[in-house]
Amino acid sequence: MRRLRVLLLKEWRESLRNKMVVFGVVLLPLFLVGISVYMIALGEGVGDPTASIVMFNTSLMYFLLLPTIIPLAIAVYSIVGEKDQATLEPLLATPISDLELFLGKALASVIPAVVVNWLAFGLFLAATRIVVGAVPLQALTAPWLASIFGLSPLLALFSVGVTMLVSSRASDARAAYQFSSFAILPGLVPLIVYSSQQTLVDLRLVVAEGAVLIVLCAVVLYLAIRVFRREQILTRWK
Amino acid sequence: MIETQGLTRRFGPRVAVDGLDLDVARGEVFGFLGPNGAGKTTTIRMLAALIAPTGGSATVAGHRLGEANREIRRRVGVLTETPGLYRRLSARDNLLFFARLYPVQEPERQVERYLRMFELWDRKDEPAGSFSKGMRQKLAIARALLHEPEILFLDEPTAGLDPEAAKTVRDLIEMLRSKDRTIFLCTHNLDEADRLCDRIGLFRTRMLAVGDPVALKEEMYGRRTVVHLASPSPGIEQALDLPFIKKVERLDDRLIVSLGDPDRENPALIRRLVELGADVRFVNELRVSLEDLYLDLMEGRDAKA
Repeated sequence: MRRLRVLLLKEWRESLRNKMVVFGVVLLPLFLVGISVYMIALGEGVGDPTASIVMFNTSLMYFLLLPTIIPLAIAVYSIVGEKDQATLEPLLATPISDLELFLGKALASVIPAVVVNWLAFGLFLAATRIVVGAVPLQALTAPWLASIFGLSPLLALFSVGVTMLVSSRASDARAAYQFSSFAILPGLVPLIVYSSQQTLVDLRLVVAEGAVLIVLCAVVLYLAIRVFRREQILTRWK
Repeated sequence: MIETQGLTRRFGPRVAVDGLDLDVARGEVFGFLGPNGAGKTTTIRMLAALIAPTGGSATVAGHRLGEANREIRRRVGVLTETPGLYRRLSARDNLLFFARLYPVQEPERQVERYLRMFELWDRKDEPAGSFSKGMRQKLAIARALLHEPEILFLDEPTAGLDPEAAKTVRDLIEMLRSKDRTIFLCTHNLDEADRLCDRIGLFRTRMLAVGDPVALKEEMYGRRTVVHLASPSPGIEQALDLPFIKKVERLDDRLIVSLGDPDRENPALIRRLVELGADVRFVNELRVSLEDLYLDLMEGRDAKA
């Protein structure tokens, strides 16, 4: 656990010094919160109460996308950065275990993604209250809250797993970023389903999505752990 | 400290290291020499418990490879071919990160000690990416030493360094030798190996020769005395009839005489030459460089022939 904590702190310290990562983690959520609040304000201006609810629901979907997008930048630069700086071998020469290394790399991306997403959601609710006077609680249903708080860690985990797999084969961050982009697909599925049902998102749907995501995460993480072995890293990674 | 028996590593059909038998003692500086692609880095990776051998066995720092890999990694330090530093992190943060991954008591103090030792303390807060090549190499060596390893694997420690920085590294190796650390040194700098190493191993997929550099040269080429003559003295080489002389060659005004024990036989040789009427200008021993030995072995030539 001590080494895991040391690795996590190093990852975050490095990420904070990387402008691309900081942009992805801080500016993108702020931008989406700004857009969302603006859309709700527009809906409110129409005078039809359902318009602002539709806008509110649409905005909530961003908080299912953010946990898949935020970790991409961190994970890509974390792994491709190690390759680029040739730091993997010195790191692997320490007593750190393969699992600690894998968990360190994965959690360094998942934890900020989930925390930032939840913080952005809190900011969104606060900004909505300030701009339109109140949060439309009839739209903020239990299934939505379950989606944002329950599904986002799974979405982030899936995204990180895919990025780790792709980054292990990529030698430059941009290529890894592009190929990892399909990790956001699971985030798009609930988005499409929810947008077709509008406010009728029900808990069974959320549970079903959660189950599918758990299976996807298990498969991706299993593959990523296989790739994240000392010998594989030293002899196979490009 | 390092013992290997038939250590082998294959990558598919390609054999990178073929049946390596090696015994490196505590406090020894062992030079591991060979061309690019000879399998030196693969050997270091196996001995540092980074990759597994596909055959043979090894004991490193008293632990068997494959059975106590983590323990081995605790006890060895590795300087990789490239410094491999986190460019965005400061020199201090780079070292602190690695110190905390090892069981180092008081990592801050240990990091300060090594930064001061390598004269990097004044720049401790600057990102490693802003450092010169020599400074990065010093920082990487400091990182390999932080946990006070019993064995230090150095892969090309002076490659690309200016003469001053290279000397700093060589002085450091001398200092570590005096502290009873075992050093496994991979280098292309044969002069450096000749000066620093107690023994050298010439390696290309398998070990071609191993031993004390001086003894290896003697074993390969014997000891030869060069007699510089003031006048041509024709036919004198044929007249040299001493029983201990193995071979005499003439090269212009020089006689190159192969002897078994020049320290004992040189006086008799010179006496005989004077008796035969030779004007001896001066006498010296023919020095064979490690480079000659290396090239002969690598090219598969039999130097004795």
